[in-house]
Amino acid sequence: MSELDPVIHAQARLRIVSALATLDADEAITFPRLQELLDMTAGNLSTHLRKLEDAGYVGVSKTHEARTPVTYLALTRSGRRAFEDYTEALRDLLGGTS
Amino acid sequence: MTDRPEPDDTALDPAAMMALLTKQQQSVHYQQAAFVWLIELAWGIAWGVGFLILWLIDGAKPAFSIPLPTAAVTFALLVAAAIVVSIVLGVRSSKGVRPSAASAFQGTVYGATWSVSMVGVWLFASGLQFNGMSGDLVAIFYPVAYVMMTGILFLFSAALYRAKLMIYLGSWIVLIAVVSPFFGYPNHYLFLAIAGGGALLVMSIVVARYTAGLRRKAAGHV
Repeated sequence: MSELDPVIHAQARLRIVSALATLDADEAITFPRLQELLDMTAGNLSTHLRKLEDAGYVGVSKTHEARTPVTYLALTRSGRRAFEDYTEALRDLLGGTS
Repeated sequence: MTDRPEPDDTALDPAAMMALLTKQQQSVHYQQAAFVWLIELAWGIAWGVGFLILWLIDGAKPAFSIPLPTAAVTFALLVAAAIVVSIVLGVRSSKGVRPSAASAFQGTVYGATWSVSMVGVWLFASGLQFNGMSGDLVAIFYPVAYVMMTGILFLFSAALYRAKLMIYLGSWIVLIAVVSPFFGYPNHYLFLAIAGGGALLVMSIVVARYTAGLRRKAAGHV
């Protein structure tokens, strides 16, 4: 299995998915904090998040905290699975055994 | 809207992509753990300086002595400052992350356990004083009970957050707590300052070196 998922196989999206994968399942992160952790521009992050969201890999939930709108982002179940598959495919390509 | 690929919309070779993935995760871990050494440092200073000041009430007489109220208030202020540093930096490191229901529950119960334990020790000491515990014994009981409680809660945190370093730190702190009474008043304070404050300062250096290592590994891609 060495087909690399084209949705993840781009530098910016791989960085986003890798960062989101450090969260535990059921955890989520705000857009500004993710932007800060990745050191990306808001526009660039939005563009790539949209592609990940369209593929069903990232879930976006909007809520209000102290009357301020907050956007939370997290990998979906299939996003986490896709990231694991992508990592495994990379290892296969690099000659790893697992 | 055109679909012209941006520079970061392209892929690198598999080895470079694997390196990018690893570095990104190290960068996130570094950024979230970057403050931990400061928390250890604050507690190292609070215990190291605080217990030293308590020792100086009677420990260096007749050459030097700090009045009991001054020493007690200074110790309380140092501990209060360390608590504030812990809370502020702890909140900052998890900024923007919405915990899962399970980890929110763990965090709340762990936080409450500290408060319950501290009040519990104080009430227990009050009960012992009610039953005739002398002032000399109070000066032994309080520091030993609080230090032992801290060690046990560090061990609890090791289990909760799978933090192996906390097993060593927690075990050491329980050990020095139970050994300290054998130094007698006021030298038990000096022992706790050196063995307790010192251990926290060493831990602060270990953690700082670990996070600096993560930062170095993660550098270069952002």
